[in-house]
Order: sequence, then structure tokens, then C-alpha cells
Amino acid sequence: MSIYDGIFQELGVVAMVRQGGGQFKLLNSECNWFLSLLKANHCPLTPKTSSIDYADLCTCFPFVENFLIDAEQAWQSQDSNTVRSGIWTELDQENNEFQLEARACLIDAEPILLIENHTPSFYRYQGVYQKARNIALLNEKLVSELNLRQRQLQNEIERHLLQSHSLQQVANSIQGHTSAVMICQPDGNIEVINKALVDIYQLDEEQGLKRVPLLEQWISEAEKVYPELKRVIEKGSYWEGEFQSKNSLGVNRWVRLTIGPIKEADGNISHYVCVANDISEFRNANASDSAELGYDFTTHLPNRRHFWSHLNYLADSAHAQEGGLALIYIDLDYFKRVNDDLGHQAGDFLLSTIATRLSRCVKYHDFVAHLGGDEFVVVMQHVETMDQIQLVADRILGVVREPLFVNKQSILMSASIGITTSFERSFEPSELLRQADLAMYAAKQLGKGQVRFYEASMERHIPRKLQRERELVDAIEKQQFELHFQPQIRIAGTEIIRAEALIRWQHPERGLLAPAEFISIAEESGLIIPIGTWVLKQACQIGADLIQRQQQTCIGVNISAKQLKHPEFYDTLAQTLSETGFPASLLELEITESCFLEDMDTVIVLLKKIRELGVTIALDDFGTGFSSLNYLRLLPVDYLKIDRSFIQELQLDHESQAITATVINLAKELRIKVIAEGVETTEQLEFLKQRQVEFVQGYLFYKPLTLNHLQKIYIEIKRLNDENKLSLLAP
Amino acid sequence: MSKVVAKKICMVGPFAVGKTSLVRRFVESIFSDNYLTTIGVKISKKIVEAEQQQVNLMIWDIEGVDIFTALKPSNLRGAAGVLLVLDGTRPASVEMAEDMHKTLREHLPEIPIVCLINKSDLTFDWKIETADIQGLEKLGMTTLKTSAKTGDNVDQAFRLMVEKMGFNTVDPVSS
Repeated sequence: MSIYDGIFQELGVVAMVRQGGGQFKLLNSECNWFLSLLKANHCPLTPKTSSIDYADLCTCFPFVENFLIDAEQAWQSQDSNTVRSGIWTELDQENNEFQLEARACLIDAEPILLIENHTPSFYRYQGVYQKARNIALLNEKLVSELNLRQRQLQNEIERHLLQSHSLQQVANSIQGHTSAVMICQPDGNIEVINKALVDIYQLDEEQGLKRVPLLEQWISEAEKVYPELKRVIEKGSYWEGEFQSKNSLGVNRWVRLTIGPIKEADGNISHYVCVANDISEFRNANASDSAELGYDFTTHLPNRRHFWSHLNYLADSAHAQEGGLALIYIDLDYFKRVNDDLGHQAGDFLLSTIATRLSRCVKYHDFVAHLGGDEFVVVMQHVETMDQIQLVADRILGVVREPLFVNKQSILMSASIGITTSFERSFEPSELLRQADLAMYAAKQLGKGQVRFYEASMERHIPRKLQRERELVDAIEKQQFELHFQPQIRIAGTEIIRAEALIRWQHPERGLLAPAEFISIAEESGLIIPIGTWVLKQACQIGADLIQRQQQTCIGVNISAKQLKHPEFYDTLAQTLSETGFPASLLELEITESCFLEDMDTVIVLLKKIRELGVTIALDDFGTGFSSLNYLRLLPVDYLKIDRSFIQELQLDHESQAITATVINLAKELRIKVIAEGVETTEQLEFLKQRQVEFVQGYLFYKPLTLNHLQKIYIEIKRLNDENKLSLLAP
Repeated sequence: MSKVVAKKICMVGPFAVGKTSLVRRFVESIFSDNYLTTIGVKISKKIVEAEQQQVNLMIWDIEGVDIFTALKPSNLRGAAGVLLVLDGTRPASVEMAEDMHKTLREHLPEIPIVCLINKSDLTFDWKIETADIQGLEKLGMTTLKTSAKTGDNVDQAFRLMVEKMGFNTVDPVSS
């Protein structure tokens, strides 16, 4: 063996030059391991020239054949890049495994193919991956189990409290739990803690811990990596995250914390339920795994700490960066509902799915992170135009909207996106995140699935919205709401007057406000529940009073999706009917199609139960939602209210006429009565009469009336009913 | 003597779903419970008898995808079929498979992809629902529950793939 061959042998490399005529000439032809592989694969070597035919090499080593396509490109390019094949495994005749890697490069303009033998070091290399993947599998199981248990406990405690179990009962039930639990008032005043919490914080006795403003401490510790924590919990939303927390001995412990608010009937937060687990050992034991490197367990995306470190790095090097930077803040809409309805495992699955999809929306130099909960961030670099950002944002909205299958259900998600940019040579990372968060918040106000770019004016609008929320709370306390009634005229005649109850807000400064001005804020803040309850009770009370005056009226009450799905809705309804004495048969609940959007089966069961009380159901605004005529067959509704937009286009648009006529016919077939809303002209009335629509409602007859006005013209409405009946009977 | 046609099949999927075990079960009829992670690519061959010809399957067992390792498109080059493998006890692998399917379609728009939901012997740990499977099938993949441990549906999976490549198979004859 020549020195030349000996050196190659020592390095574990075989070198070949690609020659004209489809040959590879071996530069070290005495390499034992390679010769044994040639033999095993029946690859002929021409002894005189030490060359292998291109076709033989390809036939015997399919992996090399595939690699030669990349190699050819490298050889033909003028740059001096080396391409590598990655590792592959071959067997010799004795079935010994060889781990090889091919490399192609140009040396002195000669196309060189190197085959490296990694076998001697392979098992060490594989051992590292083996360990990492074993840990990853174990982590997957442990984390999933821990998260599941912690969330189950959180839900259980919240459920107990909502079911009016006393704090003492709850305290007794969680005393021996291995997870730490604290229940405190919104100001942080601790009411319940358990022993596990005492253990984490190394206090001698529970009383010692009660003196520690723990919520405040957690917020301050967690805010370093979760700056939005305070906003999230004050808004009454659920939060969870992992951070380092100091115990009484000054020792940092890793804590996984969940915080869930308990709301009273008026929407105010009465308590926070906090569940914590000390995950220090878990974190330390896996110091070399992905989490420590800054990856989230559930989504495998960079976690919050990783995000901050990346953003800080970008801020430090902003002066040297080309183009601008965009921060895209993504918040999944309705995520909590998925978690609540389908369970946290489904929630984790959803997060991980969305994470993978998000990663595929961006370019390789962009950065996607999972900040925790349902919040993600994309950091785009080298941004030249706003269109570039809009394109990515649209792509994100698109991938989030793609259907997901969880527990045999197809889930449609959406996201609210806030974006801010920096084209400066320096920027403040926390300010950037705050702006993006604010823009996201503004996007949420527009409805779900929206994108907003940060504008300075948002700084003013958000506080104004908070101001409105406070005013609404006042309005509930000071009873500034009143009900107006818009009569529904029955074309076929009836003895009973029907009217839809419509809420108005007698604002102390802005006068009488229509629902459009405050309902969306009420929905967003959760105040729709107490407001909706007030409307229901007030309508039933008024209905009962009207009966006393011999003015029996069927009253339609609008019920929001949130209100309908509230766990106490049915009980509230039954209790209201019983307390006011208003006959259930005279109450009609007007719900919209959105009630069925996410959990149709449960809503159908609930509505059937409600109908068993004698209450009728009207499907409001039909035509503006998903309006599936097929679904209509499944829904337990008595009345269908065709949206005003269709009625108003009847004269202008043949399509609207056709749609309206179809809906009326189908409703008839299904024995559902039809109410046409927004009837303003006699032509519209004529069209509806011809199609034998049962009820019409609109300015052609009456605007919404005060209760006094309704009572005064009660006789007149009855006469109108009769007139319409007569006109239909006329030839 | 019948004609021999060589065809490349790629085994892809998340890490630790049992790709290597499926190949070993199919080619060597053996199974080991020990998880030994694959690094890079290992090519195994097996001849499947088809009508009037033999199909020499070149089965590329490709390292599983995880946060350290992405699917390398150059390894897919020239594939006549892909077996996308998931683990029926890990629901997250469904979504990973959906994403990998997209990557596969970008690089191999025309070829058949069969999705193998492996570890069907672990009935008590099974977490993939019918709806998940329907979701995968909506992507245009045929799905098959397999067990490398018991051998359940393993031969069938490879034979199905060969049929999807346009051959009418008879029993595989030799390795």
C-alpha cells in the first residue's frame, strides 16, 4: 500500500475523479472497506485503470446514483461549494453495516467524488440522537400527562366554585393534592392555598404564605417573559405558562402556572384560581433537550424566551440589517372554547397543528415562535414593502382557517392578527411587542379573523373601549336599559299580538343608544350575559303585566350565542318564567345561525329542552350567516325570520326574490312559520302576501315602540291583523 | 424468464413511528421491540412478483422527521411511491403527516402515497380516530393500519403500493 493509499485509509475516505467516457477513477484503489462493498454489491472494478463505470456505480449504489445528480450540479458550477449527500448505510458480504457519506467538489477544476466512512464514529453520533429522541418521546408523554392533569384540576376547581360550593369545601378537597393551588381575590388577597404550594415556597406554615402577595410576585416574575399576562387575566381570560419563581429561601424554582378567573353573574371577576406545579427537576434533568434550548413542548416552536432572545439579537444588530422588520402577533379566536369543549388534549393537538402550518407560511430567515396559550409570533426580516407583510398575514389567516379534525369533529379556526413594523436602525423589542399586541387587540374588536396594522390612534381607542365597558357595567347597576317593542303583523290574522323586544340604552350623556352601539362591546367583555338576563327577565315581567291588562302579547327576545351556551341559561330561563308567571307559550327566543356554528349537536339538544317548556324558537337574521338549507331541516325552530337585507332588495333584485321564495317554500315544507323583517313598502308586502308569509315586521307598520306607546295602540294593531286577514280572504 | 423492473419506494414519517420496523418485517420477516433510531438512509431491496414481471423494490428507509431533522427532498427524487408512516398511539403524528404530505406533493406531485398508521397492535394506547383517518384520506392518500410487531397488513401495504404503481401483484417471492 502506498503512503497515499495509507493516508486515505486512515482518513476513511475513498476519492474518485470523474473522467470523460463515463468512468470514475479511484485515487486510492486499495481501500479495504470500499473494495468489500464493491464486492458485496457486485460492482466491477477495472484493475488496470482502477476505474468504475458510471452505470455500474449507479446500479450497485442507488444512493450514490441519486446523489450524482447533485454532484453534477456542483461540478458544473463555477463556485467552489462542496455538496454532501448525508449519511446512508451499506452492507458488506458479511452483513456488516457501513455508514457512509458522499461529497462532491471541484479540486483544481477536476470533479472529485469522495466517499467517507463514518462507521467508526457513527455509534457515538447515533447514541446522541437516540438519547435525544428517547427523551423527546418521554417528554411528549410526560408533558402531555402533566398538562392534562393540571388543566383538569383547574377546571374541576372552577366548576366547583361556579356550582356555588363554598371556598372551604374547595379548600378541603384540594388540601392533599400534589399540584399547588391558590385561590385569591382579584387584588391578590389569598383565600385558599394547599400544602403543595407551601412546599414549593418553602414556608414553615400556611399563614406565612398567605402574607406573601403571591399573585403580584407571579405576575412580576412571569411578565419578564409574558408581558401580556396581566392584561390577559384582567380581561377575564385563562392563562398558562412556565417561568422561574423565587421561593422564600431565594432559590429559583421552575413553575408551570395556570390562572383561571371566576366570574360573577354581572361579569365581574370574583376570584382567580391558580394551579402550579414545580417543574424544576424536569427542566433541569432535560437541560440539554429542546425545551432548554428554547422550544415549546407542545408545538416544537421556539418558545417565549427564545423569542425574546431572538428579538433582542435583532435589535442589537438592527443597524447592520437590510430592510425592515415586521412583528406579526397571532391570537387564535375561540381557542378557549375548543379547550373547554373538546378537552385540553384536543387543544394541544390544535396548537401543534397550527404551529406546523404557521412555520410553512414564512421564509427560511423569518422566525416563528409560540408565546404560550393561543398566541404566536412571526418575526419577518428584510421587509421592503407592506404588501410583503400583508401577503404573509393573508397566508397565515388562510392556513389557520383550513379545517382540522379533532375527536371526529371538523373544527374551523380563525385568528386575529396584529402587526407592527420597524424600518429604523434601532428599536425597542418590548415596545414592538406591545404595539403588535395592541394591533391584535384592535383586530379582535373588528370581529374574528381580521388583520390590523399598528396605528398610533390605537393607543387612544383601546382605553375608550375600556371606558365603554365600565359605562356598561354602570348601566347594568343603574338600570339604564329599557325595552322597546316592534310589533309583528300576522297576515293571516290572529288574536294574539306579537312583538319583538329590543333593548335600548338610555346613556346619561349620549342619549338613547341602539344595540349596534354597545352590543359588540358587551359580547366581547362577557357583559352580554348579565345584560341578556336582564332583557329576558324584563320582557317576561312586561309580558305578564300586559296579560293583567288583557293585552296578551307574544314577546320575542333576542338571545346571543354566548348567552345561549352559558351553562346556567336554561335554569335562568325556567326560573324567570316561573317567577314572572309569564306563560312559556308566549315567549319566543330569537337566536341567530351563529349559535349552531361550533357545537350544533349540543345546541340542538338544549333548544329541544327549551321547547319542551313551551317556549318557541325563532331563527333570526336568516340569510346572513351560513344559511344552509340542509341544516335548517335539523334545527328545532318554530319561526324563521328572513333578514331585512333580502326583503329590501326584493324590488331591485330577481335573485333576492328567488332566494326569498325558496326559503319561504322550504320553511313551509318543514312547517316552520316565516317572519319577514324590514318590510317598508307595500310592494314588498304584496310579494310576501302572495307567498303566504305568516308575519311581517317593519317600518311599513311600526317602528320599535315604547311600552306605553305599544299599550296605547294595542287595539289598532289588532285591527291591522284583522285587515290583513280580510285582504287575503278577498278574491 | 420474466422482466425485472426496479422501483424506488420511500418510507417517510415522524421519528419513532416504526418505519424501519416495517421494512424489516417486510424484507426480513423480523421484528424487535427495541427502538433504534435511524440516521440518514438505508436502502433495502425486495422483489415482488407481479403479472409477467418482477418488481424489484428499492425501499428507502429515511430518517424520521423531528425538530432536529427535516425531510430532505433530494432523497425523494425518482421515487415511484411513498409510504407515509405514522404512529397510531401519537395523535400529533397525524398533523405531522398532513404537513409532510404537503411537502411530498410539492416534490412528487403525481406518485401514489399510502399512509400507514402503524402500531395497530397497541389497541389500548390507540389514539387516532376515524375522523383523523378520514381527514388523511381527503388528502388523497389511501390509509392502512399496520403492525410491524404482528406483521398485520405489512405485506399488504407494500403490495398495495406496488399495485398503485400500476402492477398487478401476486405473492412476493424472494428477498
